[in-house]
This record gives sequence, C-alpha cells and structure tokens, in this order.
Amino acid sequence: MSDVAVRVDHVSKSFRLYHERNQTIKSAIMRGRTSVHEDFWALKDVTFDVPRGSTFGLIGSNGSGKSTLLKCLANIYFPNKGTITHFGRIAAMLEVGSGFHTELSGRENIFLNGSILGMSKKEITSKFDEIIEFSGVEKFIDQPVKNYSSGMYVRLGFAIAINVDPDILVVDEVLAVGDAEFQEKCFQKFRDFRKAGKTVILVSHSMGAVEEMCDQAAWINQGELMAVGDAESTIQAYKDSLPRLTEE
Amino acid sequence: MRYLREVVAARELLFNLVSREIKGKYKRTVFGQLWSLANPLALMIIYSFVFGLIFRSNPHPGDPSGLNVFALWLLCGLLPWIFFSAVLTLGTGSLVANAGLIQKVYFTRIVLPLSIVGSSAYNWLFEMGVLVIALSIAGAFVLPWIPLVVVIMVMLALFASGIALMLSVANVYFRDTEYFLTIITQIWMYLTPIIYPISLVESASKDVGGLLGTSITLIDIYRLNPMEHFVLVFRQVLYDNRWPDGIEMLICLGWSLVSIIIGTLIFRRNERNLAEAL
Repeated sequence: MSDVAVRVDHVSKSFRLYHERNQTIKSAIMRGRTSVHEDFWALKDVTFDVPRGSTFGLIGSNGSGKSTLLKCLANIYFPNKGTITHFGRIAAMLEVGSGFHTELSGRENIFLNGSILGMSKKEITSKFDEIIEFSGVEKFIDQPVKNYSSGMYVRLGFAIAINVDPDILVVDEVLAVGDAEFQEKCFQKFRDFRKAGKTVILVSHSMGAVEEMCDQAAWINQGELMAVGDAESTIQAYKDSLPRLTEE
Repeated sequence: MRYLREVVAARELLFNLVSREIKGKYKRTVFGQLWSLANPLALMIIYSFVFGLIFRSNPHPGDPSGLNVFALWLLCGLLPWIFFSAVLTLGTGSLVANAGLIQKVYFTRIVLPLSIVGSSAYNWLFEMGVLVIALSIAGAFVLPWIPLVVVIMVMLALFASGIALMLSVANVYFRDTEYFLTIITQIWMYLTPIIYPISLVESASKDVGGLLGTSITLIDIYRLNPMEHFVLVFRQVLYDNRWPDGIEMLICLGWSLVSIIIGTLIFRRNERNLAEAL
C-alpha cells in the first residue's frame, strides 16, 4: 500500500458539443448521419495524487470541470486519455437519495440503496441502527419515503451513503442540505473519517467549508489544473485570481 | 469471464432491484399480485371467444394427454409469449427509466435490464403455476414434466434477456426503439403460432408451393422465427405431456445462447458510455 489514495494520471475528458443531434431513426436517416459535433475538452491533462488520509477539496468556478473530474473519480465517466487509479474501496455521493423507490418504506429503501452503493446485506443489517440514528427518521422508518419531507429524504440518503464505510469517499455539493444541526453532524462524520485514516474528496463552492475541512486542495480552471497542494495556499491562489469584487 | 464474475458479485443488488420492481408494482392495489393474472386471463377469454369459438381454430388434441381444451392449449403458448414481450418492452426502457441512477452512482449497469427479466419471471412463474394446476384439473399428467418446463423457461429467459440487453442500449441512442418495439411485438405475436395451430400455416404453405419458383416454401420462412420453436416445445411438454423433439430443443438452446452472448457483448461495449449518452 502506498500513501496515495487516488492517482490521477494525465486525465483528459472530452464531450461532444452537438450542433445537430438526430436521436430518432427518422432524422438519422433523413440527414444521413446521427450527429454533427465538435469535441469540447472538459479536462485537459490533469495529473495529481490524493494523499491517503487527507481531506481533499476540488475548487474552481462554475463550468471549470470539477464535477466532470468528480464523475471520473466515481467511475461514472471514463476519461478519454490517462488513467485514474484507486487504492481502496471508493464510494461516491453525487446525489443523495438517488434510487429511492418512493412507494417503498424507509426501511426497504435502506436495503435497496445500500446495495446500489455496493454494500452487502450483512453490512447493511449491521449498520442499520446507525443509519437510522444518523438520519433521525426512526419514527417514520416504516412509512413510504414519498411521505417524507425533503429534509428527511436527503438525511436518510446521506446517512446510507456515509455508512458505506469506504476507504475513499467522493462527495459532491451535498453538504448544502439539511439544517444547521444536521450539517454539523456531517462535518463531525467527516472528521471521524479523517481520524480513521480515510480519504475524503469533496467539491464545494463554499470556500469556508473547504477551508475548514480540507488539508489539501486542487484548483481547476477551464479544465486545467492550476494549482494543487496545501489547501490554504491553493485557496489563496484561487481567491487572488478572482476579480476583486469585494475590495471596496 | 471476468464480466460474469462482476455480475455474480452484484447478485444482491440484482435481487434487491427485482424485489423493488415486484413490491413497488402492485403497491396500493387491493388485489396485489392477482393483477398479474388479469392480463393473461382477459387475453385468454378474448382469443378463446374469437379464435376458438368463432373462427374455429381447431388444434389437435394433446397427444398422449388427450386434452382438448382450446383455452388451455392457448395459454401454453400465450404465457411464454406474454413473458417474452414484457421482458422486451420493459427491458428496453430500463436504462432510460433509470437515467438518474446511472448518472449518479456507479454499479454494474447490466443489473437494470436483468432486474426486469427477474421481476417478469416472477410473474410468469406465478402464472405458470396457475396453469399447471388448471392443466392437472383438466386431466393432464403434467407434474413429472415440471423440471423440463423449468429448463425451457430458463432458455426462453436467456433468449429474451439477450434481446432486451441489445434493445436497451439501442434505446439510449434512439428513443424510437421502444415505440417501434410495440409494433414489432404485435406483428411478431401474430407470426407465431400462439392463437392458431401451425398446421394451418402448413396447409396454406402447401397450397402456395415453392416461392418465386424456388423450393423454399412459406413454412420454411415461417419457421425461422425462434419463438415458433419455443412455443412448440412448451406445448409438447405442457399440453401433450411428452418429450419435446430433440432437434427443437437444440434450436431453442442455440437461439438462447446466441442471443445472450451477443446481447452481453453489445451491452458490455456500450456500458461505459451510458452515463454520457443518457
């Protein structure tokens, strides 16, 4: 085992920008082609290592490629060039509660969602109480989730995902959910994670959260890696690059 | 082989998805699972009335079972067909219907169409169970044939899965696929001897003779339809209560293997691009 949790090696990812896309057979035949497109490189030759046991923040402006990179890390997208190597079990939390069946109860959904996230039945059973406790919905656990408030829904989803107990946890902007109390609970959970020597990779627009949580960070702009390393200096570099709106 | 291991590793997820389909489907209905019998029963009544009573489509009595009930004869072919068309229709839409999941979570994608096969098979088993009871009441000695029926059911499930896997990928790129399919399955059903016996096609073929001056007859082309062979062996075992023709079983096995292998290969090649294409 090395001290690297994830190795991102010369990763490039392009998307097709469609000028014309014929998604029906009729139009494909009439136009004699399925699409006209040009490639848009969302990530250009990005290379960095995420050290084991660190909390790693990805920062950058909107449309800079953060989420694309995150999806590549989560095995949802596959890079056109380069490789991403994980050292350990990875779990991704890009959206909480995806895969819930609204007619099924919270209890049934814990098992369903847990298995989608890669937990075995035994693991889910052993973590069941912890999940319910963390989510704070024990009173409603046998109700169909369609009757849940949006906060409860998200809390249950988050509680399942965080109990997958991965070596590497990939988190998208999901911290912006729940009330202040629940957010504090989440931050606490992340701290526990770090103490246990696990790696957290997160994307956030809230510089405050990144500053507070992360010890390492990477700054991505227009698909290119601008800076990587110590969180404080990376965030400072990012902030310096922004137009000075708050100076006066 | 590595892919197979990955699918086996995801069996718990597959099981959970199947039970999601089953539990979610008839939730909040009064009759619950009984609803899965409603559709075949309604079709049975309609076809028995129109084709059994009015058109007098008169299949041979079961040999050696001696059964001569049009409705039961019909169901022996109709229930496999309903399963087959359900897998095709629902399986084709399964990736698009779960687009949100595919774009947010990584898991072995193949479990989505396979979960449709599982939940449809569950309904089918239920229906076939009822059919076996009805056949026994009518006097057929069907119980010793049940293991063989299960084997044929597995072959048909493989055949249906393979096609569903191909079409589910096609549907991601061309959303017409599902709509196209509803027409195709209707035509396909009438091209399969489900509501009429194949003997009618044979005599029609004899009247026409060789097509376009060749020795190829109508029935040769007709019998290219894999479902024809499946329906035939199902009837031989369930309705006639006898060993199916070996060559027919081999044809069914061949079709199911070809279908599942090609389906899996196509699915595997496109699996990685699904999240982007959706």
